[in-house]
Amino acid sequence: MTKFSISELDTVLYHRPESLEDYPFHFCPGCGHGIVFRLIAEIVDELNIKERAVCVACVGCSVNSYHYFNFDGLESAHGRAPAVATAIKRCHPHLVPFTYQGDGDLAAIGTAEIVHACARGENITTIFVNNAVYGMTGGQMAPTTLVGMYSTSTPGGRKPSLSGYPIRVCEMLSTLDGTAYVARVSVHNPAAVRKTKQAIKLAFRTQLANLGMSLVEVLSPCPVNWRLEPVKALEWLVKHMLPQYPLGEFKVIEAVAALKKGDRLCTKK
Amino acid sequence: MHEEIAVAGFGGQGVLFVGRLLAEASLLEGREVVWMPSYGAEKRGGTVWCNVTISDEKIGDLFITRPTAAIAMNPASLVKLEPAMKSGGLLVVNQSLVPSKVSREDIRVVYVPANDLATELGDDSVGNLVTLGALVTGCPVVSTSSIIAVMDNLLPKNQRRLEINKRALSKGCAWTQGN
Amino acid sequence: MSKKTLMAGNIAIAEGAILAGCQAYFGYPITPQNEILEHMSKRMPEEGRVFVQTESELAAINMVYGAAAAGCRAMTSTSSPGFSLEQEGISYMSGAELPGVIVNVMRGGPGLGNIGGAQGDYFQSAKGGGHGDYRVINLAPASVQEMMDLTMLAFELADKYRNPVVVLADGFLGQAMEPVVMREPVTELPSKPWAITGALGRAKNIINSFEMDPVNFPPRVKLLLRKFKKMRRNEVRYEGLNLGDASLVIVAYGSASRSALTAMKMARQEGIPVGLLRPITLFPFPYEALSNLAQRINDFLVAELSSGQFIEDVKLAVGLDKRVALVNQYGGVPLLAEEILEAIEKMIKQPVGG
Ligand SMILES: Cc1ncc(C[n+]2csc(CCOP(=O)(O)OP(=O)(O)O)c2C)c(N)n1
Repeated sequence: MTKFSISELDTVLYHRPESLEDYPFHFCPGCGHGIVFRLIAEIVDELNIKERAVCVACVGCSVNSYHYFNFDGLESAHGRAPAVATAIKRCHPHLVPFTYQGDGDLAAIGTAEIVHACARGENITTIFVNNAVYGMTGGQMAPTTLVGMYSTSTPGGRKPSLSGYPIRVCEMLSTLDGTAYVARVSVHNPAAVRKTKQAIKLAFRTQLANLGMSLVEVLSPCPVNWRLEPVKALEWLVKHMLPQYPLGEFKVIEAVAALKKGDRLCTKK
Repeated sequence: MHEEIAVAGFGGQGVLFVGRLLAEASLLEGREVVWMPSYGAEKRGGTVWCNVTISDEKIGDLFITRPTAAIAMNPASLVKLEPAMKSGGLLVVNQSLVPSKVSREDIRVVYVPANDLATELGDDSVGNLVTLGALVTGCPVVSTSSIIAVMDNLLPKNQRRLEINKRALSKGCAWTQGN
Repeated sequence: MSKKTLMAGNIAIAEGAILAGCQAYFGYPITPQNEILEHMSKRMPEEGRVFVQTESELAAINMVYGAAAAGCRAMTSTSSPGFSLEQEGISYMSGAELPGVIVNVMRGGPGLGNIGGAQGDYFQSAKGGGHGDYRVINLAPASVQEMMDLTMLAFELADKYRNPVVVLADGFLGQAMEPVVMREPVTELPSKPWAITGALGRAKNIINSFEMDPVNFPPRVKLLLRKFKKMRRNEVRYEGLNLGDASLVIVAYGSASRSALTAMKMARQEGIPVGLLRPITLFPFPYEALSNLAQRINDFLVAELSSGQFIEDVKLAVGLDKRVALVNQYGGVPLLAEEILEAIEKMIKQPVGG
């Protein structure tokens, strides 16, 4: 490998976004959360909204979000982030609150809050990280756990007769009239990560244009709780999660489509 | 008797299992016992510890502060354990991963290259059993035959694992005897 | 000697519930009690009983309400933040006279706090944290064996009084392993003619806690109050150790009482005659036992894993003319025997009135 120092380069190609603190992520090896955090920080920089952005953290592996971002952030009780963000936006409409939620947080204990934030058409943004398990508590079944998938509370794999079926959050929430932009993306390879960035950016722009609720679901690996090595976990995601959770845009209201012009975005497969 | 034993190391080094074997073996020998793990949001690779209290009497405190015997599997645990040890206690140090020496002179120390000895056996994941053998030989809190009986019980289905565990245990015993 | 099995506290609770004939378990993951839910996910279906991982603690407690109304022995387990969410449901259960068991393996709070063991839910648990005039029996185990035994007792008392019962443990006890003697399974469950089982060959049953006309409600509350009085009379449980010659008594429950036990032994080795009083029921509280002790003992040391909650009941029991000192930890940190010993030494060195 050739060695060179930054000063020898004409341009810096990659640097820590200003919106990201120099604070070590506590995530396990191969976890997808770190990628999503970085993307959000880049987007906040690019949209120049560091002084207005507010991270509403949920309870889950991303509980520490406010330590990673270099802008305002707060904790919310398990599942209640959309309610907290609603209040922040209503009290200070110039702020740009977004919730960062896991699948247990958003699709189990917080189902009521997310459904009603969408139904009210709150002008907030939700980043929903779907790793198909309860990461923080040790890999129990989540609302998004696949049928047949092992978890620490579904011995022998998830059986529909006992624990029902996984929830497709984007499909469900896009039926609500208050949603303006709903998309599902993934972080399983660099191309997918780029698309994820585009989608999250459009979600923020939706809020900035006062167009209503925007939500981006990000499929993300959890190697430790899936009991897989990081690379195997990515392969597993592609093989098993993509068929259950197809990527694409599920709701793009006209005004958002107009925003999109000029941007290249992921298209529905 | 009343012994307070601490075992500490990286997650994945089998620290909790060693504690479990000590606890099960003490129970087999008819003693009172408490096994207490560290628990927390420690992700893989973080420091893990557990303590085992073995006594002839009803045990109070779930926690120990002054171990009478201990195993340090990694450098971070030695830093914690050395000052905590009870005077006269036995400290087993995994020399394969811990380069430093103990400076206290009022405790007994056994340095054992646990991972190297385990690798010689063809499976470097049994370093924990090597240190356990070294511990119970230097400080007979339970007999090795009780530990073996417990392993027979806990791992009846996995003969290969059982065999290598037993060999690692006796390798640890021999190490302390030879030093 | 009966055969003992090494078992973690959380598992002992789960197995105790199964032995007690628990027919339905509902729960939502939360550390440090996940092992109960995980163990039940395997064991309940094995036994042909009901297991549901719910979408929240709100759902869990309301499923317990439903299963109890249907005449089944039902339970949920959680830890502090989840227990807060369940308060409404517990109030409804008490109001509708439904038996059920709620296990709370407490952790550090307030708020999200952390997953270390703590006893900061004392007020909301022992006093009833929900709305209205109700009480629930609180059983506080101090060993893994008691995790099993008191869980079994909880089911029995819940049915006896048709009222929810709380098993109030903490994260340290939940994680610790100790030898346990397995108990005999309960084979005969009480009949529940009041339950919702379908009005076949009988008049219809109604389960509710609502009265449109306020005039009609107080008599109903009065009925409940009579039950709570009976609990106070019949269900007080505590353990006393070395009280005979004691000049100072430590009062502690749960895992704090374990450190207190060691501290007591250490103090006695130093020649300080220390005793220990350990409430096993927090409601009903052993007021009488403590006030009797206070007739001859002047010094009480309260050891708790909260910021001075439990001590209020001790003060109430022993009276204002006694010295009642506090030694504690909170927020998920264990209280060590040495800290309690220090507090004992400090207390006896200070002259009365000084
Ligand atoms: C009221 C309440 N119940 C339960 C918990 C425990 N808890 C913490 S995180 C979590 C779920 C995390 O899973 P998910 O939302 O999928 O996020 P991930 O950790 O996988 O990123 C739970 C159940 C809690 N903190 N509060």
